Amino acid sequence: MTATTKLVSIQTKRSVREPVGVFFMIAFAPLFAIAMGLIFGNDPQPEFDGRGYLDANLVSFAAIIIAIVSMIVIPVDIVTQRETGALRRFRATPLQPAAYIASDVVVRFVLSLLSVAAMLAVGTLIFGANLEGNIVNVLLAAALGILAFLAVGYALSAIMPTAGVAQLAGNVLVFPLIFLSGGPVPLAVLPDGVRDFAQYSPLTQLVELLQALWSGEAWHENWVPIVVLVALLGVATAVAARLFRWE
Amino acid sequence: MPDAIRCSNVTKHYGDIRAVDDVSFEVHDGEIFGMIGPNGAGKTTLMECIEGLRTRDTGTVEVFGMDPEREVRQVRERTGVQLQSAALPHRMKVGETLDLFAAFYQNPADWRQLLSRLGLDGKADSYVEKLSGGQRQRVFIALALINNPGLVFLDELTTGLDPQSRLAIWDVVRDIRDGGTTVFLTTHFMEEAENLCDRVAIVDHGKIVALDTVANLIASIDAESRITFTVDGTPPVDRLKEVSGVTRVENASGRVVVHGTGNRFQQDVMSVLSDIDLNVRDMRSEQPSLEDVFLALTGREMREGQPT
Repeated sequence: MTATTKLVSIQTKRSVREPVGVFFMIAFAPLFAIAMGLIFGNDPQPEFDGRGYLDANLVSFAAIIIAIVSMIVIPVDIVTQRETGALRRFRATPLQPAAYIASDVVVRFVLSLLSVAAMLAVGTLIFGANLEGNIVNVLLAAALGILAFLAVGYALSAIMPTAGVAQLAGNVLVFPLIFLSGGPVPLAVLPDGVRDFAQYSPLTQLVELLQALWSGEAWHENWVPIVVLVALLGVATAVAARLFRWE
Repeated sequence: MPDAIRCSNVTKHYGDIRAVDDVSFEVHDGEIFGMIGPNGAGKTTLMECIEGLRTRDTGTVEVFGMDPEREVRQVRERTGVQLQSAALPHRMKVGETLDLFAAFYQNPADWRQLLSRLGLDGKADSYVEKLSGGQRQRVFIALALINNPGLVFLDELTTGLDPQSRLAIWDVVRDIRDGGTTVFLTTHFMEEAENLCDRVAIVDHGKIVALDTVANLIASIDAESRITFTVDGTPPVDRLKEVSGVTRVENASGRVVVHGTGNRFQQDVMSVLSDIDLNVRDMRSEQPSLEDVFLALTGREMREGQPT
């Protein structure tokens, strides 16, 4: 096996062994779907135009979890590894930095996508959430969202000086984004100014893209969120690549 | 003998501070070479310039004839590194960690053999963070040896270890040298340098202030040795003062301290004591140590403590 495949295997094992990692990277999303399903069910509701709670909200919660994992859990993990000198130990070997980062990205991406897929499976199969669009499209949109927010997470990791600051900054950034995303609080109930402002949030755009594809809209009807997410991916990747530090 | 490391006029600044100040020296193939000095003397910075982990400002560094800043991969292939602030990501097992690091190199060692050589049999399935300090340090030594290096860097290897683990690690280091690998280590424990190193460089304020074998360094400062004992009765102070090499005799209610220099001084004092018809008790002999060398060269004590 090459160094990269061994790194992928060991990073996967590490993530699965870490209780916090298992919870946030894999189990949190499906457990969240179960909790929402048990609390709200999926009976038709007038405020969702006759759709059920999960029909209307399942994918927005997937987007929120993507943001929490990418902007809090991952930066804290990476900064902790940098602070303890673990990344430095890799630097003292012939391993190429790109190989290390590639393996790290692959593992975190796959775990996040699996977690979202499990969440959608729980929502549809157990609680009968009604997918009107194509599941492949929804998962592709989720994959784009994960990549864009992972890149933001790497950029944050490069900027944050300590794990404590990363935790704090992650929370300060993520919770307003969640509030403005249209997920837990419908945008319709917010004042006009706030609603307009919310359109600038990439998380709002991801929620809208996922909801649109979930309810069967086509890709080309949603080019705005796609452009926003691709731009975010490009900018955040550039920042992360420029500022990434081993120590 | 060829040299594993050759440094000429190496300088490294941090802002206005000269962490490494125009340092030149060689490390011979097959020796245990130690750098000692107080915390902040520049030992780690110099070592990391040689490892290629830091960029020197000026000067040349050759590791097996290669520049560690230019021929990065080749130098990394042939050297092993144990970092002062060594750490690994959490939740990694000993065996899989070694297996992973082995995959980074072209000619890795058999990591199972390495584990048993380092006394870590049966630890392959333990998490690295669950090991004792001494065991964890052996894992980091194993990582430094995973590529069968010709030269291994050990930075503050035994700091934070209990005395028993420290002794065990010394055996490991001698074993590495006896296996043909050159060892370049830093320590701020004088005792470690005295027991372990074939040659020692004393570093202070970014400069090497002395470099030689421990015996030569101690001989070079011409320091006094001391013999201390207790006698029942009147000590033969006048006869002791006449012994060649004796510089001073102190006598405080039967506890006698004889100061002197030279190779034969202790032996001659002994023969005076065996001539007299008195009981001599609690005899101790104190030799000058590297600590005295440091004091003589820098005018300061080198306090042993934890690195910052």
